[in-house]
Parts: sequence; structure tokens; C-alpha cells
Amino acid sequence: MANLTSEQVKQLADDLLHMTNAVGDYRYENFDNLTEDENSELKELHNQLLGQTTELYTKSALLVMNDVDESLNAIRTITEKTQNLYKNLGVVQKAIDWAARILGMASAIISLDTDNIASSIKNLLT
Amino acid sequence: MPGKSRYLIITIVSSFMLMGCYELKHVTEFTETSIEALQSYETLPQSFNQICKEDCQLKHVAKFNIHSTQCDCSPEVKADSITNIIYSTSLEYLNGLLAVSDKQLAKYQTADLTTTLSTGNYGSLKLNENDVKAYSTLSSLLLRTFSGINQRKKIKSYVIDGYQPFQQLLTFLELNVHGNIYGKLEVQKQSIKNFYFDHVNNKNLSTYERTKFAEDYFNALNNIEAQQKELDVFSEILLEIKAGHTLLYEHVEGLKNDEVKSGLARLGSRLSLAVRIISNLN
Repeated sequence: MANLTSEQVKQLADDLLHMTNAVGDYRYENFDNLTEDENSELKELHNQLLGQTTELYTKSALLVMNDVDESLNAIRTITEKTQNLYKNLGVVQKAIDWAARILGMASAIISLDTDNIASSIKNLLT
Repeated sequence: MPGKSRYLIITIVSSFMLMGCYELKHVTEFTETSIEALQSYETLPQSFNQICKEDCQLKHVAKFNIHSTQCDCSPEVKADSITNIIYSTSLEYLNGLLAVSDKQLAKYQTADLTTTLSTGNYGSLKLNENDVKAYSTLSSLLLRTFSGINQRKKIKSYVIDGYQPFQQLLTFLELNVHGNIYGKLEVQKQSIKNFYFDHVNNKNLSTYERTKFAEDYFNALNNIEAQQKELDVFSEILLEIKAGHTLLYEHVEGLKNDEVKSGLARLGSRLSLAVRIISNLN
């Protein structure tokens, strides 16, 4: 996988924000049905994802790298998948598991470790 | 009579000189408006560092903590430094264009600029050329231009040489301000909602307390959205300046054309409007 440009990192941050919003919206919409522990766990995951996203916007401002359209397209696919998933999700544990997997991918993006980004994307696509 | 002839010749020559200046007056006016509009950057309500501090404070508030509240915002400080350099270099380019388009401004004071550019001293930041590739091309152009004698003759080469790097710098400025700072504010909006949501929905609190939390949330949200509105207008300013410069570049052989005059006038009036909107938002 090639390196990322600042524009691409910004695009990744936008996509990550959309995924993060889906996690937040799920919590808000299902608040009355969540146990206290489930709510806290989702809230914390949401907070961590927001932290990763804002960090990524800063990284974009600092970086100029080479093109990597393939991973951008994959991220877009994951974004759509996430938004659809949270619209139709019935089981809370699945919501928590998926948020945790996104968090793993976000960490890989933050580190700009392109190998880890690739494997975490693969993990989300399978 | 020789005295009268001399007076007549001087008058005619002066008239031609004034006509020459007047014929590029539209370029000068557009550049002046562009400079004023670009300087709106200095009054923008947010920076990377400021948002980082606010986010950090919200985390401490959520933990009911007001002790040991240090925040590491060093990446954001660097992001601001890079953005500031892109802005100031773009502004200097426009100042140079103003100087070469208007003979009255040929004595443009460049001592500070040339010192800064030639020494590469930007305070605590060491600029990486990979971060802002256009920077070095543009700074070289500025140095070359101001080291010359007759700036007025250099407008053509100035516009041609500066076109690509200037467009790139404005693109980077747009990315950082309207892409990344705006994005960080979007995240901040979600963080605030994440924080207030549980308080507003906490049935152990009184109705008054829950209502107050909801009001506080909407006040915070409105404040961020007002800041984003300013960034929207600033982004439009950058697009208008880019369009104006493209117009100059594409008609560099005929800058006195009516098409250029009317195009710059249209873009100039949009820029003036944007400046007024930003002033009203402040």
C-alpha cells in the first residue's frame, strides 16, 4: 500500500466521523433499552472514536503523502456498511463489537501504518 | 515658448503614464480587495490549538476534574504554524502582485519579507518542503521580483510563475481551514452531544436541571455552528481569489481586455460582500 496524502487523510477523517456518528446515533436511539454497562461501554467507545477522528484531522494538516485510492475506496465501502448496519442492528453486542473493530482500524490509521490499515480494513470487510 | 513646449511635452507624457496606470487599475483594485479578504484569516474564530484545548477541557469536565489539566496540543500547534506560513506567504504573493500592478506602489517595503524568506527563520517551526511544496517556489519568485528594478514590467512573468504555486497554497489553506479545522469542529459537536445526552436523559435529575443541560447543549452547538459559518465564508473567499488569479493567468497577454475587467469586477464585488459577511459574524 502506498503512502497517504493530506487530502486523503482528511477524507479518511471524514469517513471515520460518519462511522463514529453511526455509533453515537445507535446509543442515542436505543438509550432506553440499553443496560447501564452497555450504555457506558458504547459511550466510551464513541468518545475514543471521536478522539481518534479529531487527531486524524490534525494529521491531515501535517502530512502530504502519495496517492492511495484503493484504501480510500475500501474505507468508503466500510463507511456505507457501518451506516447501514447501525440502522438495522438488533443485538447490542454486535453494536459494541463493530464499534470496537472500527476503533482498531482508527488506531491503525492514526499510526499511519499502512500495513496495519490494510489488515484492519480486511478484518472489517470479511 | 520653449518653456511652454516643455510643459506641453511633460503634460502629454504624464497623461500617457497615468493612462497606463489606469489601464491596469482593475488588476490593482482586485488585488487590494483580495488582500483585504484574505486577511479575514486573522479574525477567524478557531485554530487547531484552540480546539484541542477546548476538547481537552471537555474531557476534564466530564470527569469532574479541574486539577492537573494539562493537554498535549503540540501537533495542533505545529498544524497552526504550517497554516500560518501558508497564509502569510499567500498574502505576500498578493502584496507583490499589487506592487507590480501599480507603479505608485513600486516602493513597496520588502525588507522584512526578504529577510524572513532568505534566512528561512520562521520562529520555532522548521518548515518541511514536503509539507508545502509550493512554498519554496513562491518565496523564490518573491525574492526575484523584489530584487528587480522595474516591477511594472514584471507583472506578466510574476503571474505566470506564481500561478501554480499560489493556487496550490490556497488549496492547502482551504484544506486546513475549511477541511481540517471545520472537521475538528464537527467532531467537537459530537463530543458535546455525547457529554450532554446522558445528563439530559438522567431521570434522577430535576426537570429544571435536565432543561438547563439541554439549553447549555444548544448554546454550545449554536456557538460552534456560528464558527463553522465563518469558515464557510472564508472558503468562498479563497475560491474567488483563486478564480481571479486564474483569470489573470489565462489572459496574461491581454490584461486590459474587457473580459478581464468585468470578470475581476464581478469577483471583487463577491469578495467585498464576503468580507462584510465575516465582519458581521464577528
